[in-house]
Amino acid sequence: MTPASQQATSGAGLGHAVDALAAWLSGTPEPGWFATLVAILVVWIAPMLAVVFPIAALGQIAERKIAAAIQRRHGPNSVGLEGPLRLLFRALLFFLPRAAQDKALARFCALPVVRPVLHMARRLGLGQLVADGVKMLGKEDIVPAGADGLVFRLAPYLALIGSFLPFCVVPFSHHVVMLETPVGALFAIAAAGITVMALKMAGWGSGNKWSLLGGMRAVAQLVSYEIPVGLAVAGVVLWSGTLDLHAIAGQQYHPGFFSLLGWNALQSPFLLLLGAILFFAGLAECQRTPFDMAEAESELVSGFNTEYSGLRWGMFAMAEYTEMLLIGALVATLFLGGYQSPIGEEWIMALPVVLETLVHGAILVAKMLATFLFMMWIRWTLPRLRVDQVMRLCWLQLVPLCLLALFGIALTMLAAGGTTPGVAYGRLPARPRPDLGVLGHLVAWGVPLLLGVLIVRAARRKHGQMHPALRQLTGGGA
Amino acid sequence: MTIEATTPSGERMTLNMGPHHPATHGVLRIVVETDGEVVETCTPDHGYLHRSIEKIGECVEWPLFVPYTDRVDYVCAMNANLAYCIAAEQLLNTSPTTAVTVPQRAECIRVLVAELNRISSHLIAVGAMAMDVGAYTPFLHGIAQREHVNDIFERLCGQRLTYNYVTIGGVAFDLYENAAEQITAFLDAFEPEMVRFNKLITTNTIFRDRCAGVAVVSRDEAIAWGLVGPNLRGSGVDFDLRRDEPYGIYGKLGVRVPVGQAFAGRHGVVGDCYDRYLVRLLEIQESVRLCREVLKILPPPAAKAADPVGGWQADVTKVIKRPPKGEVHCRTEAPRGEMGYFLVSDGTKVPWRVRVRTGSFSAAGIFHKVMRGAFLADVVAIIGSFDVVVPEIDR
Repeated sequence: MTPASQQATSGAGLGHAVDALAAWLSGTPEPGWFATLVAILVVWIAPMLAVVFPIAALGQIAERKIAAAIQRRHGPNSVGLEGPLRLLFRALLFFLPRAAQDKALARFCALPVVRPVLHMARRLGLGQLVADGVKMLGKEDIVPAGADGLVFRLAPYLALIGSFLPFCVVPFSHHVVMLETPVGALFAIAAAGITVMALKMAGWGSGNKWSLLGGMRAVAQLVSYEIPVGLAVAGVVLWSGTLDLHAIAGQQYHPGFFSLLGWNALQSPFLLLLGAILFFAGLAECQRTPFDMAEAESELVSGFNTEYSGLRWGMFAMAEYTEMLLIGALVATLFLGGYQSPIGEEWIMALPVVLETLVHGAILVAKMLATFLFMMWIRWTLPRLRVDQVMRLCWLQLVPLCLLALFGIALTMLAAGGTTPGVAYGRLPARPRPDLGVLGHLVAWGVPLLLGVLIVRAARRKHGQMHPALRQLTGGGA
Repeated sequence: MTIEATTPSGERMTLNMGPHHPATHGVLRIVVETDGEVVETCTPDHGYLHRSIEKIGECVEWPLFVPYTDRVDYVCAMNANLAYCIAAEQLLNTSPTTAVTVPQRAECIRVLVAELNRISSHLIAVGAMAMDVGAYTPFLHGIAQREHVNDIFERLCGQRLTYNYVTIGGVAFDLYENAAEQITAFLDAFEPEMVRFNKLITTNTIFRDRCAGVAVVSRDEAIAWGLVGPNLRGSGVDFDLRRDEPYGIYGKLGVRVPVGQAFAGRHGVVGDCYDRYLVRLLEIQESVRLCREVLKILPPPAAKAADPVGGWQADVTKVIKRPPKGEVHCRTEAPRGEMGYFLVSDGTKVPWRVRVRTGSFSAAGIFHKVMRGAFLADVVAIIGSFDVVVPEIDR
């Protein structure tokens, strides 16, 4: 056990990181309330404000840039940070005359370090973020005459809560876990479920038929897709024998250069399948194309948020991006080693605590971002499914697949016969894992993959015949 | 695949789709009564874009109506110009004293611009349909290609949308200097671009499943409801005016006509949304071929001395002031199907009656029928598949 965790055992029991930080701040193993409060603020809220919030905000710019790239446009490329910078200079140098302020600003902008940054910011349209934010804040606060005022106003807050709360249990690094609880996975799913209520309230409270339809679609869809999400998580729980997300992340540690060999997704094809299902069901959970039933711009105008404008709309947008990040974080934590590096985790663990925390945080953020960007790629490529197709996909395809994968995992574990003792990871004790051995791995991967290929090929032969005209249109022979 | 509501609750919700709805292509208004997500009745309500174009036709001189035809269908203004001008020429040809002969070069240019405009119009149609189904990207890729056509037209006649290019007796200007090279270059770049477009959206499984078996119009229904153009051919009726009642030089070109064949595969039915969509894509291919053919047979510009107007226009300035009395109905194949002009002349320089019959008008007539029992999400896909342009309905 590291010294940090020894200190934690004597703390207020608010989680390892809070206790450790409070103890470090006050210099005693028994920190006072003030040190504890500071530690809580830093550990619980800092990751939210420093990581999730900015990424979710930048996500809007990223989305526009990615959409633009996919559609061969430039996207936002004219609004830089000069405007906000001018405001900043005006505020900081309020005691100077205007000309002097402008001169100072010009000098600052001409600095060899600042100039390329400003140029880059303009090319990326980063100023759009500020401009949009200001615009959103300045918009009239409209509550439609036919709306149920309280419900209408409350919904965006619930959406934000539903998307931010699950982050409490996501381990950002070995030391930064806001809430270390033995039921972390359950908590994440349950907390994310609040979003359903938010969307329903928004749809109902708006007093608009398009919103109502969007809200109803959202409820049907979200409640349905919670089942594959839950089953996918259950598969990992079955495999690792714990609901604690941090324990699940730590358990995927694999000593040696190729740390990714320990990742859950690479343990069994069934886990890989569940990982994919979690991602796609997650896509449905955060209402992204091809599952954006509730918003469905071309059908329902703007669905559940038709009547929202200004800041309230912004909250929904923020909730959506945060939820995308959450899906990324969950997929990463459950299947892709959490905050662990794909290579050389051993040496990252050996770094000084601060550095290690930063590297781990960055790795998790990178994994989240990868999922985030993948979701955007999907959104700007695919059309939207129809309501009945969404439901059919969930109940007739994803759920049976999940059950099959669960069965497969159970079978694999039975066949494994024994368990490895597992490897202790930092302050996390070693957890036993199913032991397959080389032959077992070959069989466990080979048989399902072979079956999968056969099934897909048979299905192709039966249904996949493209009409000759289609083949010719896509450049194939007539 | 359309699923009937198994447990009708009897409670209905009336939804006003349009006139300002993101997917109703302009100012189309459809009053939809739904039971949950399933459409029970659908009533198109037209007239929001009525500009009395036909009445204007009775007030302006024969050649001055051409710019108004641009506005009948602004997505394919060349074809709209052409339809009117051919009708007017037919009227003039009823009397030997006023007969006009369109120069061969003008005929070729007409086909060239009509087919280019058909390409750009169908690009809007297929792109907008993809957008209605939820894929935004293909639309912009289609628009990007349309821009190239617009560039060509802009150099040709100075306009990008309402061209006023085809005139009674020919076309307004000759092709510009390197038009043939530019058009060939565009076509060469355009074909691989369409392959990419098709790989992106046409063969996409989600898109196919969304359109397959939706809003099936059988062969007999299509004929009974008077569908025209790609909507008719999508239902498997092998009929195209360019081939079956050729006008201009289409007769020489040998137009190949694609028809719906349940292209979508497993769930596909002849005459579903996907067939209508794919017929348009195949027509784009055919138009590309026709453009190339026309460029091959395009006669060189006539020598100045031999022909004072340069071989792209017959001189109709005198005869059009005193056209023969009588009436004429002329059908042409516009991208949205048959565009028919019924002209009545009382022998004066102003038409006595101008009546336009358009493809979108026919298509809008069948909406209420095909939408019954469809999902709300299908409504936009169906509108997209029939490719209605609202001023064509209202005029």
